[in-house]
Amino acid sequence: MKAIKGKFFSRGIHLRDMKSLSSAAPVEQLAGVTEAVIPLSQHIGKPAVCIVEPGQQVKRGQLIAKADGYVSANVHASVAGTVKAVEERADGRGGKVRCVVIESDGSDATDFMAPLPENADGAAIAARIAEAGIVGMGGAGFPTHVKVKPAVKVDTLILNGAECEPYLTCDHRIMLERTDEIVRGAQYLAKAVGVDKIVIGIELNKPDAIAAFEKTPLNVVALKKQYPMGSEKHLIYVCTGRKVPLGKLPADAGVIVQNVATALAVCEAVEQGKPLIERVVTVSGKGVETPKNLRAPLGAPLSALAAQCSVKDDAVKFVLGGPMTGSALTGLCGSVTKTTSGLLFMTADETNADEPTPCINCGRCADVCPMKLMPMQTEFYTNAKDYAKADQYGGVLACIECGACSYICPAHRPLAQAIKTAKAELRKKK
Amino acid sequence: MNQLIVSTAPHVKTARTTKTIMLDVLIALAPATIAGCVLFGWQALVLILISLASAFLTEFVWYIIQNKVWQGGKEVVNAFFKQFDFTSLITGLLLALIIPANIDAWYMPLLGSIFAVGVVKMLFGGTGRNIMNPALMGRIFLFISFAAMTAYPDPNFGALFESNGSLMTGATSLTSGLAGEGTLSALDLLLGTGVAGCIGETCKIALLAGGVYLCVRGVIKWYLPLIYIAVTGLFAVALEGFDFTQFLPSILSGGLILGAIFMATDYVTTPKSKLGNIIYFVLLGLLTAGLRKATGIEVVSFCIVLMNLVVFLLDAAIKARPFGFHKEKKVKADTAKEGK
Ligand code: SF4
Ligand code: SF4
Repeated sequence: MKAIKGKFFSRGIHLRDMKSLSSAAPVEQLAGVTEAVIPLSQHIGKPAVCIVEPGQQVKRGQLIAKADGYVSANVHASVAGTVKAVEERADGRGGKVRCVVIESDGSDATDFMAPLPENADGAAIAARIAEAGIVGMGGAGFPTHVKVKPAVKVDTLILNGAECEPYLTCDHRIMLERTDEIVRGAQYLAKAVGVDKIVIGIELNKPDAIAAFEKTPLNVVALKKQYPMGSEKHLIYVCTGRKVPLGKLPADAGVIVQNVATALAVCEAVEQGKPLIERVVTVSGKGVETPKNLRAPLGAPLSALAAQCSVKDDAVKFVLGGPMTGSALTGLCGSVTKTTSGLLFMTADETNADEPTPCINCGRCADVCPMKLMPMQTEFYTNAKDYAKADQYGGVLACIECGACSYICPAHRPLAQAIKTAKAELRKKK
Repeated sequence: MNQLIVSTAPHVKTARTTKTIMLDVLIALAPATIAGCVLFGWQALVLILISLASAFLTEFVWYIIQNKVWQGGKEVVNAFFKQFDFTSLITGLLLALIIPANIDAWYMPLLGSIFAVGVVKMLFGGTGRNIMNPALMGRIFLFISFAAMTAYPDPNFGALFESNGSLMTGATSLTSGLAGEGTLSALDLLLGTGVAGCIGETCKIALLAGGVYLCVRGVIKWYLPLIYIAVTGLFAVALEGFDFTQFLPSILSGGLILGAIFMATDYVTTPKSKLGNIIYFVLLGLLTAGLRKATGIEVVSFCIVLMNLVVFLLDAAIKARPFGFHKEKKVKADTAKEGK
């Protein structure tokens, strides 16, 4: 089944993956969290509604904010202690978010839900996923309970173990350390969705993870190391040969995609009744002494993660998330959320901050675009503020914002950024 | 702590820049340049140097005037070197390679380069904005200005066919007479020995070596020059009533190889899409072979510049077809039907 080359799609780019910095570091617990700053909006959809008040005692795992409507997610306390405040806090990316601030009392008082019985049916599992506040942990943060109830019939569940972003190794580590739980989580998810077929896609740069999953009942698809392999559309294409129709959801191709970390969270919620209150975050980059994979309670301040890995002086760029799609921080504020996969401290020679020069029409951006768009056209017309033409000639709405075009451009043009702008403008008009 | 850099994603970029790509082109031109100097002697070298210097100085002077050197002083000069991307050197070198090694006409590369860089490139807005290939326009400018005045036949636009209709391999009647040979073998054509012609376009081996380098370095796509050369050769064969002996002379003579590898592939003046590029190079091949047959002179330069002008049509005609595109069309058709 497995070609040595691995399955691949056309176009895309090959990145130096930099994963060796942290891929050998076992997951370790983040220490020294005295205060958790838990945002009410860590997902796509409406922010959750806070149900605790300052001064109130909470236990670890207690519900502190309720999902507001269907496309939203519950939020739970990640540490035991006292609610200090419910207020706006800077998120480190230049914005502000409403957060519940909990001062930890150092105790281990927990308030988990009751584990589900072994023969729980799909509906019970789906309800548990919603109760536990589980969202897609790969980056988008789409509420999982919505995803497991697709509007059309699906037949396959794909577990996303591609982890195609450079530097990040959090999924790799949990695939090695928590293999069985991930498999069980996937089986619960499959039950909730009502499918039998479960496939896990893993990039070839993680041979140990591939070997680990080959011993399990899941079908393993070895993927070529290629960016953006973790994009849902491309993962579906390489794993099943189906193309998601433009402007449609994966379910329209009969597939549901879930991240491996999400599967792990589902397993914990079902078997232990533990809501989503912690996740593994990769702290890496050449700007830290000891790159690590840390298990951090949600709301843990980023500065605590930085402290545990010793940031060096020559780090000039802090990135929340992966280097291709993450956002640069304005300072070391903000906290870990359900979708925080990485915190990178990059030195000047890792990031390339050259000024853009004129486009030389070399066509490289179009050559690498996994969605087969023409980024140079989009950028040109976006700069001219002609968004209709930007879409007509370049294709805007299909862009998955992977950043491959900006990466490859020899003139260092901010192509992906221009496309995001055009997308926002076009959506506004509609 | 340092000042943090805050910019938009992605936060890593390839090491490949416009500069390194252009440097690769210069490296790829080195074998042909050296071969030209060996074959044509010091005269060729002097002409190349004149051309390079004038092309560089034209851009330099243009830049510092445009950026008001009298206000900025040294900073403007520094800024120039920071943004300098070697493109005008490529233009200057290419121009020198497509003129004959005739030292009496030392002013030709000088004027040609000034025109090529000043008018064709900088006037249109500099790197990336020119509509036509600067070096080729420089060449055509010289041809139009001096062809009538100078007495010597011009290889780049010289007769391509003997009076009896057989291909003359791009050599001028004058010089092939001097070489003492009526016809040249394909091997001579390949090595450039005994062939009259322009400085850089006679030694095909050197040009091909440069071309292979460009392909290996990923600067150009290997199939594009190949399409151009093959289509030209095959169409020439077809025009001669399928006389396959015409194939090798057609592709090895004149400026075809130099044009195909270094001129036609110029990013700025080719279409943006892959499909557009393939159509472009096929059309270019047909046009070149057809015009060669019709006019009897070497027309590679003209053809490329002519095709440069239709690039925008190809770009306008070809739209992006995103991943998953075909299915969407079908779905649309279905919903349209349901709607009725
Ligand atoms: S245009 Fe969009 S999808 Fe294509 S490479 Fe750029 S960011 Fe990725
Ligand atoms: S990669 Fe950059 S320079 Fe090349 S065509 Fe695209 S935008 Fe222009």
